Amino acid sequence: MDDAFLSVRDLHVRFRTEDGTVHAVDGLSFDVPRGRTLGIVGESGSGKSATGLAVLGLHDPRTTTVTGSVRLGGQEITGAPEPVLEKLRGNTVAMVFQDSLTALSPYHTVGHQIAEPFRKHTGASRREARQRAVDMLGKVGIPHPALRVDDYPHQFSGGMRQRAMIAMALVCDPQLLIADEPTTALDVTVQAQILDLLKDLQQQTGTAIVLITHDLGVVARTADDVLVMYAGRAAERGTVRDVLRTPRHPYTWGLLGSMPRLWTPVDQPLTPVPGAPPSLLTPPPGCPFHPRCAHTERVGGDRCRTERPELPPGRGAACHLGEERTR
Amino acid sequence: MLRFLARRLLGALVITVLISAITFFLFFALPAEPALMSCGKNCTPDAVALINKNLGLDQPVPVQYWHYMAGIVAGRDFTVGHCPAPCFGYSFSNQQPVWGTIVDRFPTTLSIALGGAAVFLVVGTGLGLLAAAFRGTWIDKLFSSLSLVGNALQIYFVGVVALAVLVSGLHWMDNPAYHPITEDPVKWFTGMLIPWLVLSIIFIANYSRMTRSLMIEQLAEDHVRTARAKGMGRRTVFFRYAFRGALAPVVTLFGIDLGSLFGGAIITEFTFSLHGLGRLAVSSVSETDLPTLMGVMLVGCTAIVVANIVVDATYALIDPRVRLA
Amino acid sequence: MTTTPTSPRRATPRTRRSAYAYASALAATALVLSACSSGGGGGGGGKEEGVGEDKTGAANYSVGTKDDSTGPAPEVPGAKKGGTVSVLQRDAFNHLDPGQIYYVDMLTAQLLYNRSLTNYKVDDKGRVKVVGDLATDAGTSSDGGKTWTYTLKDGLKFEDGSPITSQDVRWGIERLYASFETDGPLYIPQWLSGDGNDFRKALPDGPYNGQHLPASVLDTPDDKTIVFHFRRPHADTPFATAMPNIGPVKADKDTKQKYDNAPFSSGPYKVGDYKVGKSLTLVRNEHWDPRTDPIRHQYADRFEVSFGHQFADSTRRFLADQGDDKAALSFSNAVAPEMTEKVLADAGTKNRRFLEIQPYVDYIAFNTDRLKDVRVRRALAYAMPNGQILQQNGGATAGVVATNLLSPAMDGYRPTDPFGKKAKPAGDTDKARELLKEAGKLGQEVVYAYPNTDTQQKVAVVVTQALERAGFKVQKKEVDANTYRTAIAEVKNQFDLYRCSWGADWPVSSTVVPPLFDSRQIADGSQNYSHLNDPKVDAEIDRISAVTDVKQAAPEWQKLADRILTEDVPAVPTFYNRQFSLWGSRLGGVKYHPVYGSADPTAVFVK
Repeated sequence: MDDAFLSVRDLHVRFRTEDGTVHAVDGLSFDVPRGRTLGIVGESGSGKSATGLAVLGLHDPRTTTVTGSVRLGGQEITGAPEPVLEKLRGNTVAMVFQDSLTALSPYHTVGHQIAEPFRKHTGASRREARQRAVDMLGKVGIPHPALRVDDYPHQFSGGMRQRAMIAMALVCDPQLLIADEPTTALDVTVQAQILDLLKDLQQQTGTAIVLITHDLGVVARTADDVLVMYAGRAAERGTVRDVLRTPRHPYTWGLLGSMPRLWTPVDQPLTPVPGAPPSLLTPPPGCPFHPRCAHTERVGGDRCRTERPELPPGRGAACHLGEERTR
Repeated sequence: MLRFLARRLLGALVITVLISAITFFLFFALPAEPALMSCGKNCTPDAVALINKNLGLDQPVPVQYWHYMAGIVAGRDFTVGHCPAPCFGYSFSNQQPVWGTIVDRFPTTLSIALGGAAVFLVVGTGLGLLAAAFRGTWIDKLFSSLSLVGNALQIYFVGVVALAVLVSGLHWMDNPAYHPITEDPVKWFTGMLIPWLVLSIIFIANYSRMTRSLMIEQLAEDHVRTARAKGMGRRTVFFRYAFRGALAPVVTLFGIDLGSLFGGAIITEFTFSLHGLGRLAVSSVSETDLPTLMGVMLVGCTAIVVANIVVDATYALIDPRVRLA
Repeated sequence: MTTTPTSPRRATPRTRRSAYAYASALAATALVLSACSSGGGGGGGGKEEGVGEDKTGAANYSVGTKDDSTGPAPEVPGAKKGGTVSVLQRDAFNHLDPGQIYYVDMLTAQLLYNRSLTNYKVDDKGRVKVVGDLATDAGTSSDGGKTWTYTLKDGLKFEDGSPITSQDVRWGIERLYASFETDGPLYIPQWLSGDGNDFRKALPDGPYNGQHLPASVLDTPDDKTIVFHFRRPHADTPFATAMPNIGPVKADKDTKQKYDNAPFSSGPYKVGDYKVGKSLTLVRNEHWDPRTDPIRHQYADRFEVSFGHQFADSTRRFLADQGDDKAALSFSNAVAPEMTEKVLADAGTKNRRFLEIQPYVDYIAFNTDRLKDVRVRRALAYAMPNGQILQQNGGATAGVVATNLLSPAMDGYRPTDPFGKKAKPAGDTDKARELLKEAGKLGQEVVYAYPNTDTQQKVAVVVTQALERAGFKVQKKEVDANTYRTAIAEVKNQFDLYRCSWGADWPVSSTVVPPLFDSRQIADGSQNYSHLNDPKVDAEIDRISAVTDVKQAAPEWQKLADRILTEDVPAVPTFYNRQFSLWGSRLGGVKYHPVYGSADPTAVFVK
């Protein structure tokens, strides 16, 4: 994919904590072309949010080391000076966060928060920016936007807040939108509305979207491509169709098994992936998934415990199981 | 907002009346004999009775209380003459109308408290912001240790040292004195400088430490991260987002300290030989001067209540989630 | 007549303990230090010679002649006109009305704006003469001392230039009968019209309703003459008329209670600006004529009195000696106890300080109704740790160990020492124990009452320790300072011994011995705290009171006081108060006022 707008290569994110260094993202590579949506899926702690923050260069350099390459439209983000990043953030690349109640400032009106990046990045006047905020609120489906523009976030419902945050993210027509669990805090109907909204807006603007979620259902509904992350690494990659139809990684199998389906009888228990994700302070040797994997004996010898499986470029999974993999 | 004000004012009135009643009745429950203060050396029971009659202390306590409170609203007649509303009576010890004395003293206390508060609020939060901005560097460590020292100090100690060094030793400053700001703003300023300085040294510690930790907390907030993700500059994020959030608790602390500034006025005023409400309160207690004591209590109480209403209103301005109703 | 724990004339009587809590904390530290430096708690008595700055030594009083009473006052060498004198005072004045004044700070201040019939003339050697102030002399007696006649000088004027007549003096005295005049000394009205509060019945509303005392009591036959007809002889009259309330008040300027804020001046200064509780400015009175005044000068242009200066603050300012403080003094603020060492060590203060004996004595009274055995009382007297008590009160600069009931500041004083306090300032434990044993009262329980001030709490500790060493069992009884006097002045009080003090209104012991030890004075509120009831003492009091010459009576009072102390032991004196004053370097003419025990402002000038 040469026309990839976002291109991540061998990304490593390490947090220094009191207990030691946490290797949150461990050699991740992926691309997102314009107009497409990449879903990054994984359990919490799999490194998906850390990846999102690294794309905006938002990690605190005092506690976090980011290495590797993140290129936005050809421009290198890692190691770029703060002023350069500030010009990109909210402008070329914007982010939608999970919890709109804490992610929006309680001290400023919704309109102000939407207008602020617009003024900064476009140099618009106060009045223009305000009009833009009203327009954006209308665009994301807030009724009576001209009246609500001066409300504070706490005066909005959860769904409206999330819409407002999307409006804020899109106010400068970014070329890349990173949406970190944008619907997790919302109930199912609102969730669907928000996802549809994102899709609609993408069709209008051609924005590339990185959708970070733990919910394969969301991915199935919205994304074009999928990246399954496990313990800071990519476990499987491919188009939504491929990955959901023919998953190749035992972890993806587990995720799919834990996904509630409409046609699953209500009394049938979900089958989540047994066990817990590994500690990233002391990641297990070999394949990080092997302690939870039910298929290690199908791989010859000790390979799963000793040898780290590589993810092939394009469609594929980081697993020692051969072509014979089936569920 | 109006409803908020009305409700708070009503509450304040109830509290003030309650405190006045407690003060008044407590005064008579204590072993105090106001007559002794005006009894010279010829203090026979006869003389005491005569003075008690002069002071109106021969009447039942509830009746006295009623007269006193009614006088505040409607004025009162004394043998000395008419005392127009608000009449807080005549001082037992110097036969002056209490209200006049309070009007004379209040500006001193207000100048000390508000001036000192302005200095330590600005400097204290300023230092806290610096420490937070340069977290982990030598600036932060220096301020943190300084604030530990400041916190351990007391007004009478710092005050005496400041007087000995700055006034008597180095002659950098004048002896503290109160000049009305309306008459001579420069003298007012120089006369208040040392009290402000000393109050600041003591209070700055709290504010810088609190501001620092609040800022660090706020800087880790989601909405601050959002602001950065929008491309807001460091400065904007620091002041417009994080500081805004840190300000509300600082204002709350300030509300409490404003009360303790009035309470601490006693020590401040004695340390710096100034004449404010604090000194008046103490002398009225030691001279068993009930009318003055009542006046000071009522005015001090009102001042603190008003200060708290202002603080609450400010809080609501800073944090729109707080509804005033 | 005076003896109260809150004795009005004392420099620090107005208990303001809560306010001084922190100051006391500082003082306490200083006390501990000074106790160490004086060689352990052995008692301050041994130190008295060490500081030894008393210039007057034994008191020297006399009644002046007509010449002595004639103005102007002798010029002070080097004195200059002009300038402003700052006066730093701790407690605010409660009164300016001369009729209400009784405390040392206000007594001193009124010298500047108020004149009385007689007054005290202090020469540069500290000798005191009672002279005529408004009057041409100290008074002439007739009728065996019952009638006293005064003639006013020529050229006396109020601050508006109107002449001062005998009618104005009469008005000044008669207004003392009004019910609002309760704070001042009431000797003259009581001598004229009856004891206690009874005198008020002679003129219930004062002069305000057009009524006056009959000529048979107070007579003003012409504009210059005032005649007092007392009910009994009073040899002390020249002293009594030196009290500030025996002076002129102009009837149409008399605003009754409000006169307290705006007295009408007869002295060299008048009230310029008065902010009650805060400050008082006295400015020149152009109508005062120096030729009429034998004691006052008018060197400075103004006196600016400001209140609220703790001793530590005034001492710091005097020591630093900067700016306006160079021309500052205090009437009654003493050098702060924690700073005395520093002041004494500073050679630059040598010529701008004094340390003088005051006419005030601290003593501990024994309740003779409860402690009936004189041997027990004597044992208490021997055991009392005078030196340590003084140390707790501020040490050598606050006083000297007392050996007998009268003060060195009193006329006729002799340094008798019946309990050997000079040799054993910490108390004679052995002797006390021996006496107690002899009485068969070892382990005797005594109740010791004291006001709950910081100083007295500390004193209680050393007193208790000393008494228990001598074989007593002490029960401490702390009483609220505000009501302490009332509590111990109750005849039926439940205490055995209690801290008291007396201060003489004039340096004649007739103001000390009778009120303290005359059995006929025993009543609630009276000053015979010991309830001493000894007919021999009463008879002797009557005999000496009848002596018409005060100079002859003085040694007799001392003898009686000594006899009471050795035979009846109704009390034990603990220490004689001293005043340690410091002032700014640009002031001259500051001297000690031996009668008031304060800094005399009448000859002060700015260099």
